[in-house]
Amino acid sequence: MNVRLPVTLAELFAALEEPGARVLAGGTDLLVQLRSRAGAHGSQTLVGLERIRELQGITATDGVIRIGAAETHASILENRLARSRLPLLTAALAELGGPAIRNMGTIGGNACTASPAGDSLPPLYALEAEVELASRQGLRRMAISGFIQGPGRTSLERGEILSALLVPQAKGFDLHHFEKVGRRSALAIAVVSLAALIRRDPSGRVLEARLALGSVGPTVLRCPEAENLLTGRRLTLASLKPAAAALRRAVTPIDDVRATAAYRRQVAGNLLLRLAVLA
Amino acid sequence: MPQSIPPRPSPPHPRADGLAKACGTERYAADLYPPGLVWAGAFRPGVAHARVRAVHTDRAQAVPGVIRVLTAKDVPGTNLQGIVHKDQPVLCEDKVRHAGDPVALVLAESREALVRVLGLITADLEPLPGVFTPEEALKPGAPLIHDGRPQGNILLRAVIAKGRAAQALRRCPVRLTGVFHLPMQDHGFLETQNGVALLTPDGVLEMDVSTQAPFRDRFEIGHALGLSPWNIRIRAPYLGGAFGGKDGATVQCLLGLAAMNVPGRPVKMVWDREECFLAGYKRHPATLRYTLGAEADGRLTALRCRLVYDTGAYAHLGGEVMELGLEHAAGPYRIEHVRLEGLAVYTNNPVAGAMRGFGVAQASFGFEGMMDALARRLDMDPLELRLKNALRPGDVNPAGVRLTSSVGLVECLETVRTHPLWTGRRQWEAQAPPLTRRGVGLAAVFNAMGYGRGLPDMAVAKLELLEDGRFRVYSSVADMGQGNASAYAQLVAQDLNQDAGAVELLQPDTERCHPSGSSSAGRTTYSFGNALLKACTAMRVKLLSRAAMVLMRDELTSLELAPGRVVHPASGRSLALADLGRLLSRDDRVCVAEFLMPVAQDPPKTGTAFPIGFPHLFFSYAAHLARVEVDELTGRIRVADYLAATDGGRVLDPQRFHQQIEGGVAQGLGYALMEEVALDQGRILSDTLSTYLLPTSLDLPDTLSLAVDGCEDTGPRGLKGVGEVGMNGPLPCLAAALASITGQRPDRAPLTPERVLRALNRKPRLRKQA
Repeated sequence: MNVRLPVTLAELFAALEEPGARVLAGGTDLLVQLRSRAGAHGSQTLVGLERIRELQGITATDGVIRIGAAETHASILENRLARSRLPLLTAALAELGGPAIRNMGTIGGNACTASPAGDSLPPLYALEAEVELASRQGLRRMAISGFIQGPGRTSLERGEILSALLVPQAKGFDLHHFEKVGRRSALAIAVVSLAALIRRDPSGRVLEARLALGSVGPTVLRCPEAENLLTGRRLTLASLKPAAAALRRAVTPIDDVRATAAYRRQVAGNLLLRLAVLA
Repeated sequence: MPQSIPPRPSPPHPRADGLAKACGTERYAADLYPPGLVWAGAFRPGVAHARVRAVHTDRAQAVPGVIRVLTAKDVPGTNLQGIVHKDQPVLCEDKVRHAGDPVALVLAESREALVRVLGLITADLEPLPGVFTPEEALKPGAPLIHDGRPQGNILLRAVIAKGRAAQALRRCPVRLTGVFHLPMQDHGFLETQNGVALLTPDGVLEMDVSTQAPFRDRFEIGHALGLSPWNIRIRAPYLGGAFGGKDGATVQCLLGLAAMNVPGRPVKMVWDREECFLAGYKRHPATLRYTLGAEADGRLTALRCRLVYDTGAYAHLGGEVMELGLEHAAGPYRIEHVRLEGLAVYTNNPVAGAMRGFGVAQASFGFEGMMDALARRLDMDPLELRLKNALRPGDVNPAGVRLTSSVGLVECLETVRTHPLWTGRRQWEAQAPPLTRRGVGLAAVFNAMGYGRGLPDMAVAKLELLEDGRFRVYSSVADMGQGNASAYAQLVAQDLNQDAGAVELLQPDTERCHPSGSSSAGRTTYSFGNALLKACTAMRVKLLSRAAMVLMRDELTSLELAPGRVVHPASGRSLALADLGRLLSRDDRVCVAEFLMPVAQDPPKTGTAFPIGFPHLFFSYAAHLARVEVDELTGRIRVADYLAATDGGRVLDPQRFHQQIEGGVAQGLGYALMEEVALDQGRILSDTLSTYLLPTSLDLPDTLSLAVDGCEDTGPRGLKGVGEVGMNGPLPCLAAALASITGQRPDRAPLTPERVLRALNRKPRLRKQA
């Protein structure tokens, strides 16, 4: 196996043209995949992103936070800008894996793995983040929801990488809530997760709700029906229940070794009820 | 065995292995990479039940770096391993019986070559219908796992009976029934099964291996491979965990076979985590059926149960595990009439064997579940119900054994009864946050110590005065992390009045140490410690006698041992032990002594199906309490507080005592909350640590461990083994807490969020029925 560690984007794009080249952005998913096919990757080339300056850094411009794709979960969690402007995202990252995984794994890697259980994804969907993609041809941008097409499938073209996440700050939203249900309290793959952003008027009535669910379908999903059901209502158990029912109708979960589809469906709705006891 | 018992508490004694392990310098078997290493690995086709038509190794033999590919026809000897029952092929010839069965062994020059070769072997298999539950296995006409056994798929069936259970049950004013299902659990040790072996030019097979039973391994390897056990030398360095999973051959026979094929070259075998899941031993899944009869005031009268253990494809210690479960099946209670029936049944599932709480962890879910159901039925306080029925010293236990040993269950229960975590429980429950429900559960548990009657629980300790005046303990019982080696060093230092640093430890080596049984059954410090104290007594007499000659004293009572010296206080004269070390010949610097664990006198005339290991005389006891929060939206359980009050006799070292209890509770909470080897037709679905979940530190409460004041007179300094009892409490304790919340007794472990949520959504049905 070959490992390339380019320092510039130009070197990166050259390295990606080697046969069998794969992008290594932390490796917490990729190395596990490769290990399970031991002996079958002799001719592979791994191209690490960690030394490329353009893929790092967290900056704010006009209410949009740009997070370099190679930023690790731990470095985002330590970043004051991210913590203060994107509390929904950092709440999710705090529950991603464990300390060792957070030190290695990157936000770009989490997006490109495109798992419906990726912990950063429900917040990114709720925040209506965009991805910035880079190739020799230049940069392009698209919504995260358009970028991820299915489990393990993204809109990346050959020779193209995800270079940054562009995350709008949720201005005016007064409730930022993330809850992950895993089978244990750390190092767990989400069984269901919910990211919720709520904007309310001074009387507590919902002006706008954004709800994104993880691990209950092939991709993270937003549920406009449930979001609309909350609009104009106060967050009480009574008003949340119809929206919870809408969430349960919207999801398409599967059975696996962690939980049944029935449990996922029920809890997908239940998690919304938590909002009744927050704020 | 009368011994002077020093005033307690003993001062804390540093773990002998602490510094080296904390610094990463301790050498486990897995750390050994001698030069010229050959790598060995097994090819396991992964089919649960099939006839082996052929094993194709031609392509594999052609790979650069391959040395040999061996199959069953290359195995000398019986090709059968097993501790009591020899039924497990080293390499399968005609049939594979579970998905982890191996059919070929590869020797290669490198690990990379080994992986390549293993990928090129194929087996021509004719699938056979399999059986994957004991229920299927017991059906008439079920496919047979092993041919030619008159009992079919039953490995062992046994009954323990006392009084007239059937009649007594009919007369009982209160009768309850219950069924309990327990999952397969993996040990989850850090250091996977591994070792290094070498066949020396003089024909001795030497092995450094992660094993709990170095002395017995010689016989198991010798039998399987046709070697004389006297030509096998086993060394057992500190183990990186075992919990029973390295009691009995894991890599040993395969490694021995490999070494025999490359004489003079060291061979290494290390199972990766997936192979550890696939081929390693597991805790038996079990189904328990209970009928309990009691008086209206809560006194237990009669109990019937049927415990069925799934031993998987091979016996391993399945019969013995079932035995211990059966012996504990009625709980630590006075019950006059019992009829306990147990079965260990073959299936095509992974092989089950020894694991901490050896059959008892399963049974504890049953008898404590019945006690909770009875308390609810009678509207009695569950703690008072247990106190009313608790075994006391001198009682005859449910297996019919008169308890002449120490029994501290009442003290354990009293400790819980007066603790604020118990007395304040109602208030705590009432303060549950929104969407959260709180409950408090209790369990009384016990665990036998030692091998039981019919199998001598013997230890032979060797202690040497070194030439520099320090002492060396030849430990014969492997230390898998529980700290028994440290206990040995402490016993010697304290008994001979030496500094802790004056005692060094040699880990088990069959050539240099004396046979002392396995590291198991809560016996390690009790049996070997007793032998060691006898050796210390002999050493003291020796040292004083030899010093008397130099110091010109005609009475030994005038002399004393002091750190590094023998002193004569009256005159102030002394002799350095370093001088004694040089004065004495090697033969004279060594003391060897043995200890045989006492057994029950007048054993009951029941349990006759057990060839060995029934009954037991010594037990540790515990009362556990858990405060549990359940989230109504997700069914997730959070264990807020945990209290374990334990009777382990007198505590030798508080730190190691509490480490054993906390570790047992942690493993027990894993069993209660999440651990389950998921199977589909005998294939393991959860074969990695991302799908087989062990609790993390965030899933565990701070366990409060309290030792009750006890003393087992036969124990070294009054102690009993406490390695296992902590494992048995958490599942029944959490189940009780959950039942108090939902009104339903959980009948299936682990208590997953999904099961809990279902229970929360169901109408309560176990409210008072009487």
